[in-house]
Amino acid sequence: MSESLLKITNLNAGYGGIAVVRDLSIHVNPGEVVALLGPNGAGKTTTLLTISGLLKPIAGDIQLLGSSTTGDRPEKISRRGLAHVAEDRSLFFDLTVQENLRLGLTGNRETRSKSQENALDMFPALRPLLSRRAGLLSGGEQQMLAMARGLASEPKMLLVDEMSLGLAPIIVERMLPIVRRIADDTGAGVLMVEQHVGLALAVADRGYVLAHGELTMEGSAQQLRDNQSLLEASYLGGEAH
Amino acid sequence: MKEGIAYAIMGLGYGGFYALMAIGIVIAYKGSGVINFAHGAIAMYVAFQFSYLRSEGTFRFPWLDPIPTSFLNLPVTLSLSNGEPINFWIAVLLSLFTALILGAAIHYLVFKPLRNAAPLGKVIGAIGVMTYLLGVGSKHFGSNQPQPDGVLFPDKLLKNFLGLGLGVSAEALALAGVSIIAGAVVWFIYKYSRIGLATRAAAGNEKGAVLLGYSPDRLALFNWLLAAFLAGLVGILTGTVTGALGTGKFTGLIVPALGGALIGSMSSIPLAVLGGLLIGSLQTFVGTYVSGLSWFPAWLYSGARDSIPLVVIVALLFLRGKSLPIRGNIEEKRLPLAPYPKRIGKYVAIFVPLGFLLSAGFPGDFLFAGLNGRWGMALTTSLIAGMFGLSFVLLSGYVGQISLVQISLAGIAAFLTARLMSHYGPSDSNPFAVGGLHLPWPVAMVAGVAVATVVGLILAVPALRIRGVQLTVVTIAASISLYSFYFDNPKLTSLQGGSSYIIQPPTFFGIKFGSTGSQGLTDNPKFALFCLIVLAGLSVILANLRRGSSGRRFLAVRANERAAASAGVNVAKTKFLAFGIASAMAGVAGVAGAFQAGSTSAPMWDYGVGLSALAFCYLGGITSINGAILGGMIAGGGMVATFGNFHSPGLYSYIPIFGGMGMILTAIIHPAGQASIFQPLMRHFGSWLLTARGKEWGVVLRRLAPYLIGGGIWGAIGINPWRTDTYNRTWMIILGILIVLFVRNIVVQVKAAKAANALPDTNSLQEVTA
Amino acid sequence: MSALLETNELTVSYGGLHANSNVNIKAEKGKLTGLIGPNGAGKTTFIDAITGFTNVSSGRAEFNGKDLAGVAPDERAKSGLVRTFQSLELFEDLTVWDNLIVMAEETKWWSFLADIVRPNRVLGIEEQAEWALNLLSLGEHRDKLTLDLSHGQRKLVSVARALAAKPSMLLLDEPAAGLDTVESQQLGKHLREILKQDISIFLIDHDMGLVLSVCDYIYVLDFGKIIAEGTPEEVRNNPEVKRAYLGETAGEMQAEGGAAAARSLSGEG
Repeated sequence: MSESLLKITNLNAGYGGIAVVRDLSIHVNPGEVVALLGPNGAGKTTTLLTISGLLKPIAGDIQLLGSSTTGDRPEKISRRGLAHVAEDRSLFFDLTVQENLRLGLTGNRETRSKSQENALDMFPALRPLLSRRAGLLSGGEQQMLAMARGLASEPKMLLVDEMSLGLAPIIVERMLPIVRRIADDTGAGVLMVEQHVGLALAVADRGYVLAHGELTMEGSAQQLRDNQSLLEASYLGGEAH
Repeated sequence: MKEGIAYAIMGLGYGGFYALMAIGIVIAYKGSGVINFAHGAIAMYVAFQFSYLRSEGTFRFPWLDPIPTSFLNLPVTLSLSNGEPINFWIAVLLSLFTALILGAAIHYLVFKPLRNAAPLGKVIGAIGVMTYLLGVGSKHFGSNQPQPDGVLFPDKLLKNFLGLGLGVSAEALALAGVSIIAGAVVWFIYKYSRIGLATRAAAGNEKGAVLLGYSPDRLALFNWLLAAFLAGLVGILTGTVTGALGTGKFTGLIVPALGGALIGSMSSIPLAVLGGLLIGSLQTFVGTYVSGLSWFPAWLYSGARDSIPLVVIVALLFLRGKSLPIRGNIEEKRLPLAPYPKRIGKYVAIFVPLGFLLSAGFPGDFLFAGLNGRWGMALTTSLIAGMFGLSFVLLSGYVGQISLVQISLAGIAAFLTARLMSHYGPSDSNPFAVGGLHLPWPVAMVAGVAVATVVGLILAVPALRIRGVQLTVVTIAASISLYSFYFDNPKLTSLQGGSSYIIQPPTFFGIKFGSTGSQGLTDNPKFALFCLIVLAGLSVILANLRRGSSGRRFLAVRANERAAASAGVNVAKTKFLAFGIASAMAGVAGVAGAFQAGSTSAPMWDYGVGLSALAFCYLGGITSINGAILGGMIAGGGMVATFGNFHSPGLYSYIPIFGGMGMILTAIIHPAGQASIFQPLMRHFGSWLLTARGKEWGVVLRRLAPYLIGGGIWGAIGINPWRTDTYNRTWMIILGILIVLFVRNIVVQVKAAKAANALPDTNSLQEVTA
Repeated sequence: MSALLETNELTVSYGGLHANSNVNIKAEKGKLTGLIGPNGAGKTTFIDAITGFTNVSSGRAEFNGKDLAGVAPDERAKSGLVRTFQSLELFEDLTVWDNLIVMAEETKWWSFLADIVRPNRVLGIEEQAEWALNLLSLGEHRDKLTLDLSHGQRKLVSVARALAAKPSMLLLDEPAAGLDTVESQQLGKHLREILKQDISIFLIDHDMGLVLSVCDYIYVLDFGKIIAEGTPEEVRNNPEVKRAYLGETAGEMQAEGGAAAARSLSGEG
């Protein structure tokens, strides 16, 4: 039975009781990469923050691995198998790459070293940098570290927020396929927020498009790609052709 | 020079002490972002615990049975061996256990609830813990000051150490060694253990740590336990270094320890250890060796030792040019709103005459003699504390700068005024009297306040670069330096052997309104009137500043310095203005305090007095003028304390304990302070007195009648029915009524607040579902 | 220089990262100039550099023909170059009216003495503040604390506060973020009205609809560099711009990998 890893039903989320995201229902299945798209201010990041518990949902339900997370604290949600690579990457700048990774690891000594190896296999560029302080890494390296640290906990569900933020396109083009690999290799579900629509849809299975806090489009990546003009309209605010 | 090196080595004993404390302070800062002023107080409690365990085998819990009749029978003191000393190692274990209990309690009861509080709230939390522990400490142990034995190498002196010609105590060297070992262990924990790594991670980016599944609360608990453990270690080890134990002793030593912690930027353990050792060594080197050299100016002698931490702290903060690591907290609460003062004229019109009636016209201890004696003393103490509080309201409440040096500015104004006013030199009746210029009091007062203002402005310079908790560190160091540099420096003050300046009662067109303050009494109701007028004047000035363009700029700077600058506000000038006016207000309060006592001496201006004044002002409400006045009422020796003491003799010694708990509770539950609870009551009462017609009197009286009668009866029976001695019951009826009305007022407000809170909730739900 | 605000090869670096590199922008007097670009492109950094909140690494910025180097942020504001913040940064303890007055009033060294005597004296700037208040239809909220307003209203207050200073140039950082479509359109109308008052505007926003509909001239920033400029129509049809916002489609991705690498400016490895 293909139970959804993450199932959000009729979610209202926002700050100080004011809903930025309204009536959102999305789901992510195991091994699936799902893109959450939309112009800035649409409420994508708010959605991710609410899933990981940093924001309390105003209304609606979030089910992670079949049970509701409503009211749980973020650290508890994280320990249930959710990793969230935040928009600001939330790295520990004073710690080395190795130490950053170590903090992501869970389980006993043996599984820990195995998960670290797995994470580094995904991002081999980090291997020579293990003893460097995270604050001294370049933007691309920092993003890789944030992703690797998220992976190190062997999550069942991975949230990736604006991986491409501030990165050169060439880096983004190299990193996005890794997201695909994560889903394929580990069977984890990935929900990614991405502003490079084309790149995101190239690796995603499905996508949702948010605008002004509401779901405006959803479908398979292929369907969304084929509907280019509608997509453009939701971004550029022009008229749909 | 050989001798100098020997002294520098001797100083390592103090250095080890500072280093151990510095490690604990750094740990608490990493774990909770708190500059733990209470660290010394934890060490103090454990030091006494250890000393008593060793000498008589008694273990005391860090609390008191709050009911003097002990009918709750809380366990407070456990006698473990019928007055016999107990095994050394058991004593060590029990002492460290005490430290751990304290650490856990501080985490769960104070800083966990204050996790997201504004920096001022955390400072008050730490001061609250310190006040509480000092109160409990002096209740438990205050009666005598034991001389604890050394633990490591008692009484061992290394003669002619390294051929330097002087003996160095082995205990001192061992203490330095212990601090290095402890530092190494803690460093190892932070470097290699998972929880240590997570602590460092969360200190830099709390959100990142939370997203990886680390609970910030658990990390904080771990760090508080570690910090308290180290404080416990300090308490056990340092007996021989500190000499005879005193409850206040350790808290003053927190400043050099802070200096060490700052050398380590509040984050590096090895540098903190090094810093602590360096400061201790420098202190002895400068204080004992350099100051003994012939070229060393005599006026520097007294302050040299205590100023070293200040010099180190300021030099570091300036030269290094970068500030302390700020915790990357997920959210931080703002200071409470600073209300816009309204109807000031009415307030003055009502309360000054009312206060005058109270102080000069109503029956006091003697019928129709006005409030003199201890009630007069209590009232004037409250009014002066209120004036002093206004300087905190301006600086901390309006501009958001936490300065702990205000008490020293008050002292400077008082000392200078006293010196300029005084006339006669030493005489037979007072061989220690100091002569002066014999200026009239207004001239002397203006000069004194002006100098205090200038000093305040100079001390404002650091505030342009640093803010929040860091400014508290610099200002507390400045306060301690000023104390030993000036107040306690006979070369500058001419006061010999701790004597005080005598102040002739000031006169106004021939009317003497000063007070002699002898034996804790004031003999002159006119002085209360003077204080009332000065307080009213300062309040009006502050209220008008708040309402005018200055107040807008103050609050703009407080809200957001970037935005203020973008609005064309010159942030530096605005801060200078606030520091200047606040210094002047503190100066006026200082002079009034000196007038009240009829004399002034160093202990009146100790930094501890300033800390407790700030804390009481916070309790009253640091963002409003009413808060300062209310803070004055509840301050030590003020009206509320005197009332309380009057009804439960002996209550006095409980004031620090309840005061400390009150500060913590206020910081957690109600950062706006108690004044906001009184505000509506005062407003109704005031406008009612002014405008009410006969009919309204009737309506109000009918509504309040049950409370009035009930309160009156309660008062007539006796507020404290267990009280057995005889006392004047005239006032008790009024007091009973007031207490009942106050409680009713709180209940009404809580209900109103609940109703107000409930409304928006339902509204937003409707919006969402609609 | 004829432009009111002009930058010449303006570069801002954090560490090794160029947040702005060699940015040349001209904002003409009486015109509404826009700056758009995807998230993280360096737009706010640009405003910070112009208003003195971040250090310029190289290049220069001139306002009204005067070099801005070394001028403190508050002095820049006083000289007529006034900004808003994306995060609003209102003075939350003050009423809406007082927020405006802080911005508008000129204080002297003796102002505090005047406050003590007459805190509510007439400052001579009320008219300007009143105008700003009414322009953005905030009259009824005049005496409310900004805390008690909705997010949209607070946005308007932040614009009104900037206007109260009677600036010659208004820099708006994301004024439409968080507004719904209708509010955003209203804001556009307000902006055109402000222009008529001899106040030039420099607008940064994500809301392409707003920017394309109100601006006279638009610059597009991506990875800290200006990648396009022109009238709204030119920008709308510029393929670079579409790519910056939407990225390549899968097919283009392989074909243009080399070109993309050439555009890589941030020096990542």
